[in-house]
Amino acid sequence: MISISGKRRSAGNRVWTLVMLIALALCVLPLADILWVIALRGVPAIKLDLFVTSTSGVAGGLANAITGTLLIVCAAVALAAPIGILGALFVSELADRRTAALIRYAADTLTGVPSIVLGYVCYVALVVTLGWGFSLLAAAIVLMLMMLPYILRTADLAMQRIPVELRQASYALGATRSETAFGVVLGASLPGIVTGVLVAISISVGETAPLIYTAGWSNYMPTGKLFHSPVGYLTYVIWTFINEPFDSAHQLAYAAALILIVLVLIINVLGRLTMRRRD
Amino acid sequence: MRTYNRRKLVVSAVVLTGLLFAASSAWAGGTKEASSNGNGTSSASSSSGGKIALLETGSSLLYPLFNLWVPDYTTKNPNIQLTTQSTGSGTGIAMATNGSAQIGASDAYLSDALMKKTPGMLNVPLAISAQQINYNVPGLNTQHLKLSGPVLSGIYGGKILYWDDPAIAQINPGVNLPHHAIVPVHRTDGSGDTFIFTQFLSDSTPQWNDSIGAGLTVSWPAVQGGIGAEGNPGMVQAIEQNPYSVAYIGISWLDQATKAGMGEAMLQNQAGNFVLPDETTVKAAAAAMFKKTPQDERISLIYAPGAQSYPIINYEYAIIQTKQPNQAEATALKAFLTWALSADGGGAATYLNKVHFQPLPASVSQLSIDQVNKITG
Amino acid sequence: MRFRIIRDSLSRYACGFLAASVPLFLAAVLLIVVASAWPAIMFNGWHFLYTLPWSVGNEYGSATMTVNGFLAPKGAEYGMLVFFVGTLLTSLIALIIAVPVSIAAALFLSEVAPRRIAGPLGTLVELLAGVPSVVFGLWGIEVVAPAVKNSIGPVLSHLFGFIPAFRGPVGTGVGLLSSGIVLAIMIIPIITAVSRDVIENLPDEVRHQGYALGATRSEVIGAIILPYARNGIIGAVTLGLGRALGETMAVLMVSGSALNYLPGNIYSPVGTMAANIVALLDSAMIDPTGMAVHALAELALVLFILTFIVNALVPIVAGGVVRISSMLPTAAEFGGHRE
Repeated sequence: MISISGKRRSAGNRVWTLVMLIALALCVLPLADILWVIALRGVPAIKLDLFVTSTSGVAGGLANAITGTLLIVCAAVALAAPIGILGALFVSELADRRTAALIRYAADTLTGVPSIVLGYVCYVALVVTLGWGFSLLAAAIVLMLMMLPYILRTADLAMQRIPVELRQASYALGATRSETAFGVVLGASLPGIVTGVLVAISISVGETAPLIYTAGWSNYMPTGKLFHSPVGYLTYVIWTFINEPFDSAHQLAYAAALILIVLVLIINVLGRLTMRRRD
Repeated sequence: MRTYNRRKLVVSAVVLTGLLFAASSAWAGGTKEASSNGNGTSSASSSSGGKIALLETGSSLLYPLFNLWVPDYTTKNPNIQLTTQSTGSGTGIAMATNGSAQIGASDAYLSDALMKKTPGMLNVPLAISAQQINYNVPGLNTQHLKLSGPVLSGIYGGKILYWDDPAIAQINPGVNLPHHAIVPVHRTDGSGDTFIFTQFLSDSTPQWNDSIGAGLTVSWPAVQGGIGAEGNPGMVQAIEQNPYSVAYIGISWLDQATKAGMGEAMLQNQAGNFVLPDETTVKAAAAAMFKKTPQDERISLIYAPGAQSYPIINYEYAIIQTKQPNQAEATALKAFLTWALSADGGGAATYLNKVHFQPLPASVSQLSIDQVNKITG
Repeated sequence: MRFRIIRDSLSRYACGFLAASVPLFLAAVLLIVVASAWPAIMFNGWHFLYTLPWSVGNEYGSATMTVNGFLAPKGAEYGMLVFFVGTLLTSLIALIIAVPVSIAAALFLSEVAPRRIAGPLGTLVELLAGVPSVVFGLWGIEVVAPAVKNSIGPVLSHLFGFIPAFRGPVGTGVGLLSSGIVLAIMIIPIITAVSRDVIENLPDEVRHQGYALGATRSEVIGAIILPYARNGIIGAVTLGLGRALGETMAVLMVSGSALNYLPGNIYSPVGTMAANIVALLDSAMIDPTGMAVHALAELALVLFILTFIVNALVPIVAGGVVRISSMLPTAAEFGGHRE
C-alpha cells in the first residue's frame, strides 16, 4: 500500500486532497444553492403584512400558519419533554439493566418509524375513531410521538456521561437513588437535555405528512381549542401553494420556506450555544 | 466546575416557553382575522366567540370558485369562517363522510355502494362545469387538435404511442403531426376529474369500459414515461414542463393552461362533431340531460347526445352530511349553500364566468335547494 | 427517613411509568398498522410481495369479490412491486452518490482542513441537515428536475449510453434520477456529520504512528483511519439509508408518481412506498369495501418492517459502538429525521 517512490507518493497525496475538495464542494454547493434559491425568492415576498394577515385561499399572509406551527410544536414539546426527561432519568439511573435495555431499544425503533405511518395511525385512532376531528391535540400527539424517543435517548446519553464519582459522592452523603437522580444527575446533565429538546423541536418544525392528517388546515388563526378545530401550519403552505399557478401562492410558499429555514437556524444556533456551555 | 447557574437556566427556559405561549395567544387575539368576544360556546363544534368555522375540502376543479365565493361571503357574514382546501374529490368525499370537513367538494357523486354504506349523505350540485383536454405539442399549441374518446383511450391505454399515429392523423387531416412519443399525464390523487374523464372514455370506447372502467382512481395501464400529477394545478404544471404531453384538466383551470401557451383539443361528441367547451356547447349538453336528474341528483352528464353538445360536462357537488353535529353549524351551512345556489348570490355570472362554469337549470337548482333544506342540526 | 424512602419508591414508579410509555406507544402503533392491514394481508396473500398491478377495482360498480372471506370491489388487485423497487432504487442511487461524497467530505473536514475553516464549514453542513424536506422537494422541482432533463440526462445518456440503464429517452426530468439526487443531498449531512464524529474520535496515537513511519496524509487515511473507522462509517451510512427509505414529501414532488410499471431507465418516473401512501390515501377512502385503505396499511407495514430491519442492522454491523456515539448531542442529532 505504501509505495517507495517519493514523487509518486506525494502526487498521490495531492490527487486525493483534490478528490476530497471536490467532494466537499459537491456537499456544500447544492446545499448553498437551496438556501440561495429560497432566499432569492423568499426575501422579496416578506412584507410586514405577512405576519399579521392570515391566508385566504391562495393569497393573504402567513400569520395563521406561523402561529399554528408554533402552537402545535409548543404543545408537542410540553407533552414530550417531561415524559422524555423523566423517562430518561428512569432508564439511566433508576432501572435495572434489562428494563433499561428494553426501553432504549423501543425508543431507537420508534425513531425509525416513517412519519407518514405515525400520521396515518393518529388519523385512524384520534381523528376518526375517537372523533377528535382535525385538531390541535391530535397534531400535538403525533409530533410528540416523533419527539419523545429523541428526547429520551439524548437525555439518557447526557446523563450517562456524568462521571460516576458524582453519584458516589451523593450516595456517600446518604441520599437515596431517586434523590441522587433528581438532585444531582438531572442538574448536571441539563445542557445536554436542553440540546436534545432543541434538536427534537428543529425536526418537528419541518414535518408535513403527519400534520396533513391530524391538523388539517385552516385559513384562520388557531382558536386554542384542543378538539374539532383544524390548525394551519407553515409546511402546508410550502407543500400546497407551490403547485398553484398563481404568483401570490408562489410568493407565500417561498416566504414560508424562508421563515422555516430561519426558524430552524435559530434553534440550531441555540443548541450549539447550550452545548458549548457544557464544557 | 459548573459554568452556568442551573436555576437561572431552568427559570429562563420556563419563562421563554411561557412568553412564547403568551405571544402566540396575543397574536391570535390581535390580528385581523380573529376577534373573540369572550363568550366561547361549550358545544362540540368548532366555534369560538360566536364564530362558526367551516372547512371545505376536495375538488381542485371547484376550488377556484370557492376561493371567489369565500372572501365576498365572509365579508357579508363575518360570523362565518370558511376555510377552503384543494385536495381532490376523493378527499372531499372521504372527509365529508367521516365528518372531518363540513363541505366535501367533488366532481363525482357518491357511488351506490357508498350511499348504502353511509346513508344520510347529500350530493348537492352547485354549478355545471366541464373538462378539456390540454396538450403541449410544440408548433401545434395555437391550433386546436381534434381528439376523440377512442383515440384518448388508445393514448392512455398505451396503444397509441406517437403523436403521428394513424388514428390521430385520420381525424386531423392536413396537420403536420410530429413523430414523438406521447406523454400521457394522469391524476395520482382521488380525482373527480379522473372520474368524469374515465366515464367519457368508458362511454365512448367499449374496450376501455370492459378493461379499466371509470372511477376516482383507476389502474392506469403501463405507459412508459407516463406521469402522475397532483391536482389540476399539478396537471397544468406537468404539461407545461413536458413537451409532447397531454392531460385532462378542469375548465376552471383553462385560463392558466392557455396563459402558459398550452393547446386545447376539440373533442368528438356522440353525434360525431368536434367541439370546444364554451357556453353554447356546454349548455347544449346540459339541455339534453338535465331533465333526467333524479331527486338525489346523482347523475352522469357525460357524452350527451346532440349535434352541439360538449361530451365532458358534470355537476359540481357539495357533499354534505344531512345530520350536522349541532344546530349552529347546520344553520350556517344552509345559509351558505342557499346563497351559493341563488342567482344573485353565488350563482351570479360574475363568479361563474371567471371559472367558465354554467349555472344550474332552474329545476335542478330547485332540487338542490330541496336537498339543502334537509340539513338538520 | 421513611418519608424519603416512600418518596424514593414513588419517584421510581412514576418515572418508570412514564418511561414505559415509549414501548407502549411503539406497540400501539404496530398494533394499529397490523390491524388495519390484516384484511388486505388475507385478501392479497403472498401475491402482494411480487405482483405489479395496483388496482382498487371498480369502485363505482356494485360487483364485489370475496377472497379468503374478505370483500373487495371487482377487479381489485394489489401488488407492491412497483413501490418496493422504487424505494430500493431511489435509496440505492442516493447511497451511491452520497456515501463517497460524505466520507470524502468528512475526511477533509477532520484531517485536511485547517481548524479555522473546518469549524464553520462543518457547522454549515450540519445546519443544513435540519432543512425541512418539503424545502428539498421545492428545490428538486425548481433546480434538479430541469437540470436532469436539460443537462445531466443528455450528458449521461451520451457518455454511458451503452449501458441500458443510462440510455435515453431522457424524458421529463422527474423520475428515478432526480429522486435519487434529492435524497442524496438530504442524507449527505447526516452521513458526513456522523462520519466526521467517528473519525475525529479516533485516538491520535494511531495517526501519529503512521506519520512517524513517513506516510503521506492520504496513505495514513487509506491504510489507518479508514479501516479503524469502518464500523462507525457503516453505522453512519445506515442512519442515512434509514432516512432515505422513509422519505415522503421530497420524493413525492420529484418522482413522477409512476403506477403499474417498473422504470426502464434511470430517467423514468418511479413510485416509492412512503410517497404513494400519501398520494393514494385519500382516494383509497372512496372504496366502499375499505379494502383500498387496508392495502395501503399493508404497504405501510412493509415499509415499517423494512426500516425496522435496516435500523436493527446498525448495532449488529457496527458493533453497537456507533449507535451510542452517533446519538451524542453533537452533529448527528441535527439530521436524523425522515419524512
